[in-house]
Amino acid sequence: MSGNDRVPVVAEGAWTDDVDEEEGVVVNWFANVGRHVAAGESLCEIQVEKVSVDLTAPVDGELVEIVRDEDEAFTVGDTLAWLQPEE
Amino acid sequence: MTVDRELTMSRAIVEAIGDEMRADDEVFYMGEDVADYGGIFDSTQGLLEEFGYDRIMDVPISETAYLGAAVGAAQQGMRPIAELMFVDFFGVAMDQIYNQMAKNTYMSGGSVSVPMTLTTAVGGTYSDAAQHSQTLYGTFAHLPGMKVVVPSTAYDAKGLMHNAIRDDDPVVYMYHKRLMGLGWLPAPEGPKTPVPEEDYTIPFGRADVKREGADVTVVTLGLHVHRALDAAASLAEEGIDCEVIDLRTLVPLDRETVVDSVRKTGRLVVVDEDYRSFGLTGEIVSTVADEALDALEAVERVAIPDVPIPYARELETEVVPEAADIETAVRTVQ
Repeated sequence: MSGNDRVPVVAEGAWTDDVDEEEGVVVNWFANVGRHVAAGESLCEIQVEKVSVDLTAPVDGELVEIVRDEDEAFTVGDTLAWLQPEE
Repeated sequence: MTVDRELTMSRAIVEAIGDEMRADDEVFYMGEDVADYGGIFDSTQGLLEEFGYDRIMDVPISETAYLGAAVGAAQQGMRPIAELMFVDFFGVAMDQIYNQMAKNTYMSGGSVSVPMTLTTAVGGTYSDAAQHSQTLYGTFAHLPGMKVVVPSTAYDAKGLMHNAIRDDDPVVYMYHKRLMGLGWLPAPEGPKTPVPEEDYTIPFGRADVKREGADVTVVTLGLHVHRALDAAASLAEEGIDCEVIDLRTLVPLDRETVVDSVRKTGRLVVVDEDYRSFGLTGEIVSTVADEALDALEAVERVAIPDVPIPYARELETEVVPEAADIETAVRTVQ
């Protein structure tokens, strides 16, 4: 396989161990499909146990798919979007 | 093709404040729960980590003390941003606001200026009752000496905040809670917009035509820009073409854009989330009557009736104008 596989944006982070609740909700997307983002850029804001957390881009790349839109629920660990890494 | 980054209104405001603080050491922020909490409406989210407690200051619950301190700091050459958590709380510190902040330049014969920004959260629609739901736009716009800013989108909020901090006179910057983009208080479609990463200013006193139309002029601000745009979209299906004007600042007030629009449409609807009497709706209508009476064929006002804003959701919804109320007013002037 090439190094061009899509990279998931996963609802997890340093906060994952601090929450008891498994379910969260997507509050805001800051990028639309087609946007080229830099690693570390805030992609979306999620809310778990009434606390807001930003999910950042894991790599430089293009946002090619949003799996969970604003107001949609997810389970911690779900993929919320996909990035196509830049060469 | 570049796909724009989008920000909520709160993040756009915070970005402008952070940029100004990086550019000028004299800029600092003080208020209740603005440091560790990041502002109860996310008005300072993330700033403490970068700037520390000396420049993002939590203050004791005495609005008189810390707004007075901000006035003094401003007169000494700093550029404070002081946050009044809810505009409804202005009463306990009004002397500092309207007699000191707003008048000290005048009272000192111009020997001091007061380059401070007073930020404050306004508006209802979330069952927070009569002491936490007001906008009080008219109260602040009525008293001379303060500029008054009311953004309706993230793009406008950032440019207006840059302009507010750089202004050498006191500016009251009123952000509507329902527009900030908070998880627990979801915004309507509209306030989250593309926002450039570089700084830019939006000058005061320039209204923005958010939708062009030929049949009726709808003048409003804040949350009700979005409700008016929703109403305009529905009315367009009936063949009624609304022009929606977002005032963006009340002081200075862009009377020219309003009058020019009414000269075109002949019909005026003014929508306000403040009390009906002695306020914005009357001011806009009288402006048009003064300057373009011959062009004015019909007029309607949509505002909160002169009652305290109810806690009960059904009753609050009844008194705060909705898109349907704006549609009714537009049909009435047709």
